[in-house]
Formats: sequence, C-alpha cells, structure tokens
Amino acid sequence: MVDTLLASLTDGLLIGVVYGIAAMGLTLIFGVMNVINLAHGPIMALGMFGVYLLFTQFGMNPYLALIPVGFFGLILGIVIYAVAVNRVIDAPHLSSLLATFSVNMIIIGLGTALFTTTFRNVDYSSLGTLTLGPITVPLTRLVSALAALLVTGLLYLFLQRTRLGKYVRAVANNRTSAGLVGIPSTRVLAFSFGLGSALATIAGGLIAISLPFTILSGSTYELKSFVIVVLGGLGNPVGALIGGLVLGLIEGVVPVFMKTTWVPVLEYVLFVLILLVRPQGLLGAKR
Amino acid sequence: MALLEIRDVSSGYGELQIIWNAALAVEQGQLTALVGSNGAGKTTLLRTIVGQIKPRQGEVWFEGQDVSRLPSYQKAEMGLILVPEGRQLFTEMSVRENMEMGATPRRGRGKMNANMERCFTLFPRLKERATQKAGTLSGGEQQMLAVSRGIMSDPKVLMIDELSLGLAPVLTLDLFQSLRKLRAEGITVLLVEQNVRMALKVSDYTYVLSEGKVEMHGPSREVEQDEAVRASYLGL
Repeated sequence: MVDTLLASLTDGLLIGVVYGIAAMGLTLIFGVMNVINLAHGPIMALGMFGVYLLFTQFGMNPYLALIPVGFFGLILGIVIYAVAVNRVIDAPHLSSLLATFSVNMIIIGLGTALFTTTFRNVDYSSLGTLTLGPITVPLTRLVSALAALLVTGLLYLFLQRTRLGKYVRAVANNRTSAGLVGIPSTRVLAFSFGLGSALATIAGGLIAISLPFTILSGSTYELKSFVIVVLGGLGNPVGALIGGLVLGLIEGVVPVFMKTTWVPVLEYVLFVLILLVRPQGLLGAKR
Repeated sequence: MALLEIRDVSSGYGELQIIWNAALAVEQGQLTALVGSNGAGKTTLLRTIVGQIKPRQGEVWFEGQDVSRLPSYQKAEMGLILVPEGRQLFTEMSVRENMEMGATPRRGRGKMNANMERCFTLFPRLKERATQKAGTLSGGEQQMLAVSRGIMSDPKVLMIDELSLGLAPVLTLDLFQSLRKLRAEGITVLLVEQNVRMALKVSDYTYVLSEGKVEMHGPSREVEQDEAVRASYLGL
C-alpha cells in the first residue's frame, strides 16, 4: 500500500510540474494583459503535434524538438495577438474571450482537417525506466519533469534579469507608465502573448512524450490549467507551479483509493470550492 | 525657436472639450510653470502634449518637428518625458528597476549608471531603498522616484505633473529645491502646479491656465506682481 502510494505520488508530482508550465502560460498572459486565452488548449495541442511530427518525420529527439516547437509557439502567439487580441485589448472581457475562442475554433477546425482525430503518440519508451526502491518511473516522465523545471527556471531568470523581461513586468504593472518611459507597450504585449503560447506548446510537447493525444486533447489540459491557475491565484506564476503539483498529486493519488473516473470530479469540486472559499487562490493573486 | 511649442491646441475626452485653443512655448534651459486651479485642464494639456490624448485641433512641436500624432513611447525616445500625476510607478518592481525602466530611451541607456548616481546624489533616500519595492515607499519617496525615473531617460524636456500633490510642506520644499538643482544642471522643465506661490518662486516663466484657456503668461516675476493673479491664486 505504502509502495503504491509512493509510486503514485511520484507519478503525480512529475506530471504536475508539466501541468504547472502549461498553467504558467495562461497565467502569464492574464497577468500581463488581463486576457483569458481560450485558445490555450489548441495551442498546447499544436505543441503536441509539433513534437510528434519532428519525431516521426525527421527522427528528431523529442526533447530537442521542444526548442523549435517553443519557438513556433512564440511566433504563433505574436501572430494571434496581432490578428485577434490587440484590437480588443481595452474592450470588456467578453470581447477578448470571444476573440480567443474564435482562434480556438479555427485551430481545432484546421487541426481536425489536417490530422484527423485519431490518437497519436510519441513512442519514446526506448528511454527505459528508472527504479529507485519501490518506485519505478518511465524515464521520459522524469526527463519531462526536469525539462519543465528548467523552463520554469529560465522563465524566472528571463523575467527578473533581462531588460525585455523587465519590460514585460513593467507593462503588466502599469501599461500607461510603460509608454511614458519609452517602452513600446503593444510590442511587449504581443511578445508576452507569444511567451505564454510558447509555454503552452512546450507543455503540450512534454505531455505528448508521455501520453497519447489528438488535436482535441488540448481542451482537457486547458481546463486543468484553469483549475491550477485558480488554485495558485490568477496572474501568479509561482502559484501556477504549486497548483500544478497539487493537481498532479490528486491525479496520482486518487486512483489508489477509488476509480480513476473520480479524478475529474474531485478536481472540479476543488475548483468550485476554491472559487467559493478563497477566490484569490492559495497564494493570492497578483492584483 | 522654442524647444517645445503648443500651437492653438484643443483637446478633451469624448464629447467633453477641456482645452480651448491653448498656446504655450517652453524655452531651452528654462523652468516653465503651468499653473491654475483644480480642473483648469493642466493635466489634460500635459496628456495631450505627451500623446495620451490626441489633439482635436492644433499641433505640438518638439525640436522643430510636428509630433502631434506620435505615441507617447516615441516621444519618450525623443526626450520628451512626463512625470505623471499620482506618480504611477511600477509598484511591483524595485526602486532600482524603476530607474532602469526610466532609462529605456536610447539616449538614457548609455548614461544609465551616471544618471543613477546623479539621482542618488539628489535624493540619497532612494539609494538606501534601492532594492525595496516601489509600492512600499512613502509618498514623498515615491515622488522622488517618479522624478528620478524621468531623469534616468536623460530628458530634453522634463514635464512634471503636480510635484507637491499630497506631500507634507517640508518635503514639498525639498523637492522644489531639487528642481532648482535640475535647472542649474541644464534640464528644461515644464512644471504643472496647484501650489501657485511655490511655482512662481522657482520658475522663470509662467502660464496661467483657467477653464481650459491660457489666461495670461509672462516672466514669473511679472506674473507674481499681477493684481488679478495675486487676488485669484495667492489670496492677497
């Protein structure tokens, strides 16, 4: 029993870190521009397909494939911002929700036409497993979690140490003042949307390495991201990581005690509870 | 030709027109004051100059160029800098980071360290608090930081909106004295103030704005002696 629990715990934590960076993308965009990106899931799915195609067509190492896939996410996000988001950036929330929802539908439509909805998977199990006492984990899970932690660390350094990263924080903090000191806010907003999308595609790619997926799979993870973001506090990237771990733990540990089908039920009960009792999230939101 | 010139500008918000055919010139190296009572349109005029509001009519000229339609970040790049009313700091960022952000324009970037030292000499309190979040500073310190953020850009014209607003008299005096130092260093300043007495004391030239119109203007010493100004603004 203890052994199973330990194994499930490890499993949960490892996937939780990956959920964490997906949620970080969502929360970063919200924190900077107050826009909830409803195309987050499909963008994740594109990341899954990106890694899949580079792996199956070009035989690229799926972890290395994350670099071009993340870059693609960055460009895609900038384009989405320029085409759909910029014109509604100061409009009421409903406008930006509808705009990003339209992007969501466009990606799903195109994706379904191009890739169909057959399940795919990146078969990289050749990496083997790692056994540590009672715990056996596929190495891909472990490497994925480490990659997600690396991305988190790089994001943190970028936001704290680089000039562009500081522009992102300045625009998030006070967009009017950013303009007054000479920061081109619109370009920084577009870049931030790109950064959030890059995190989504990388998270998608990491999930694809461990689990089967279709173009529609993104939606599931988008919902998870919402739960995580609410758990951690909307607009709070550290909260997103912790929220991701909590959700991962639930997914790992709950099946030990009851049927797996209970997992989403518990997740969304938690979601509603947090909204009712502590709407600012466990760590408190940025604003 | 004046460094900054407002020609026959009208502007406002939506249906509401606030500024009516205002004309104003800021000469190189001078400290120009724009005074008037609450609601006279001083802030609106500054926001029009800096590009947060587009003028409905008239033009804003800076260094011999029509900049009326440029966004504020491009004006900042050119050296036209506003220290906004109510400070508007990056409250979640440290004092030092706020100053770094001030040095965004290319002209300020190269002199970042020198300008930072200059600000710390002017306001030693900021040096002590360099790593603190700007939001945790007192009102006076926030105003010092707001002015410093402006200085960091190495401005050609520094426009300051309500330097004294909400500050204790002692602090106000301190800040006005630092303005004099800035002027002595050669920075051109356009100061907007409700504290008319103080503004007249420190400035070279004064414009009086009333109900969105320039009521009178002249060298500050002459404006100070004007009977109407003494009665309306100085309570004499």
